[in-house]
Amino acid sequence: MSYQESNQQATQKKQNSLLAWLDRRYPLVSTWNEHVGEYYAPKNFNFWYFFGSLALLVLVNQFITGIWLTMSYKPSAAEAFNSIEYIMRDVEWGWLIRYMHSTGASAFFIVIYLHMMRGLLYGSYKEPRELVWLLGMFIFLVLMAEAFMGYLLPWGQMSYWGAQVIISLFGAIPVIGPDLAVWVRGDFVISDATLNRFFALHVIALPLVLIILVFMHIVALHRVGSNNPDGVEIKKYKNEAGLPIDGIPFHPYYSVKDTMGAVFFMIPFALVVFYWPEGGGYFLEPPNFEPANPLKTPEHIAPVWYFTPYYAILRAVPDKFLGVVAMGAAIAVLFAMPWLDRCKVKSIRYRGLSFKLLLTMFVISFIVLGWLGTQPATPELTKAAQIFTLLYFGFFLVLPFTSANEKTKPVPERVH
Amino acid sequence: MKKLIAIASFYLMLPLSVMAAGGPAIELEPAQNNLRDQDSLQRGAVLFSNYCMACHSLKYMRYNRIARDIGWSDEEVVAKMAYGQNKVVDDVTTRMLPGVALDVLGTEPPDLSLMARLKGTDYIYTFLRAYHQDENGNWDNTVLKGTSMPNVLEGIQRHASSEDYAQAARDIANFLEYAGEPGKMQRLDLGWKVIAFLLVLLLLTYILKKEYWRDIKH
Repeated sequence: MSYQESNQQATQKKQNSLLAWLDRRYPLVSTWNEHVGEYYAPKNFNFWYFFGSLALLVLVNQFITGIWLTMSYKPSAAEAFNSIEYIMRDVEWGWLIRYMHSTGASAFFIVIYLHMMRGLLYGSYKEPRELVWLLGMFIFLVLMAEAFMGYLLPWGQMSYWGAQVIISLFGAIPVIGPDLAVWVRGDFVISDATLNRFFALHVIALPLVLIILVFMHIVALHRVGSNNPDGVEIKKYKNEAGLPIDGIPFHPYYSVKDTMGAVFFMIPFALVVFYWPEGGGYFLEPPNFEPANPLKTPEHIAPVWYFTPYYAILRAVPDKFLGVVAMGAAIAVLFAMPWLDRCKVKSIRYRGLSFKLLLTMFVISFIVLGWLGTQPATPELTKAAQIFTLLYFGFFLVLPFTSANEKTKPVPERVH
Repeated sequence: MKKLIAIASFYLMLPLSVMAAGGPAIELEPAQNNLRDQDSLQRGAVLFSNYCMACHSLKYMRYNRIARDIGWSDEEVVAKMAYGQNKVVDDVTTRMLPGVALDVLGTEPPDLSLMARLKGTDYIYTFLRAYHQDENGNWDNTVLKGTSMPNVLEGIQRHASSEDYAQAARDIANFLEYAGEPGKMQRLDLGWKVIAFLLVLLLLTYILKKEYWRDIKH
């Protein structure tokens, strides 16, 4: 056989390969290249850039453990609490699956809050990434609904009364409020009907929306390209091949780096799952080890830690309806970040003192509000919550004015 | 350095634990029980059967599960906890007939499967020992004032040494901690192996990352 013949055969073989067969029918190679193999990311990502891929990891964890939990969980007021104990005691590895899911819920919010913090630090919400930020905010919103509804499912005292308090907030809306609250619950109180519909939303509707939004979040990101700690656009300087000089292909560089990040994250995660699953009463609240009892109100109702900043804002406002409005506004105002921040410089590294101070104030008020939300509302603590609510909103109120002509440092042309 | 601070703060963020307010008015005594002490668990199981099961149940536990976990045979658990009255596959139910508690005590005694997770072992230990008699001979409890529960350990309190009395309460608390999460020992024993594995994996992935990133100039 001549060299030419064997070469021809090789080409033939290549065209007949499974990959080629698939690729003629589905854009496999081009999709892989666009989003992984030839997606160029800035080479200077730091610690903060792990949290995007970690959020994806936790999402997968919630999906898989969640599927296995539904195999033994019974969404009825009579059976829900018992079925959780059945999972904890009699299902093979049930306790592990359940703790991974409950710890995963808290881990999700830790990761997402840090992921959002990264966006604030390096101006990742700014032009041209406004849509990435908006889609991310929608993910955050759906995630909160998902977590809230999931928390009712164990049907413990805190599940029940937490849901009772939050759903009753709908009742504060003028005119339609009371009817709306009944419509959401499907009953006059939280009941079997509520549990059933929350189950449906928690395991089907919201995860479906979540996965679509995450997909869109990533597609939008890959359209505009990733930001970086210097906040400069790597697409500005390209080599002869048209590739960004300061960019590196996501695979293998960031796939190996994110794998390391994932393992790094799994260590504290495993520590909590195996040695601290109650999270000091914050990840699993002790009153939730008592079955829901509609006739017995717990003396102190506190939402899970990831909702406490907003809960503190709700309680800080004396009027119930205005409290609901303030709570909603505290989340809604984050959507407007790309337009509230008028500074052209993205990264905090080159921004002025005013932004650094404002952001510090915002972070402190968020953490303090989070702590206040776990405490009983004494007059002193309510006063504190009011002050920190003002500081929280102060960030968004002052930012448009200070950022318009902020005294920034010179931004480098390229990343370093 | 900055990286180190970021990593350290990530780890420090995790145990933000300040327990939420609430709980009993008096300071709880530490139970100092030990889940690994099988003798204590066995004594606790017998004490539970003798002093608690007249009113309380342990409905999420079965006799054979208890036997397997605390080192008894199926025959032993039925003999020691159920006096041959139950099958080994039965749930641990109360000996009180339905409705009697409401008539006699005015309340339905709670199931104790999750009491240790709800209140903690210190609470159980202190509560069991917090009974006292006033000058008129009426019993009350300093942890839960006006409780309908009688001082079930009165016999031990009167006739045994104070060490044995404390040990009895400790054994019951220990047994109830076990019953609150029977898989707990398995969890504690597995955890460090998983973490050791992850540490090795972290080292390997770190080396892999270093190798790939060698050609990236900063």
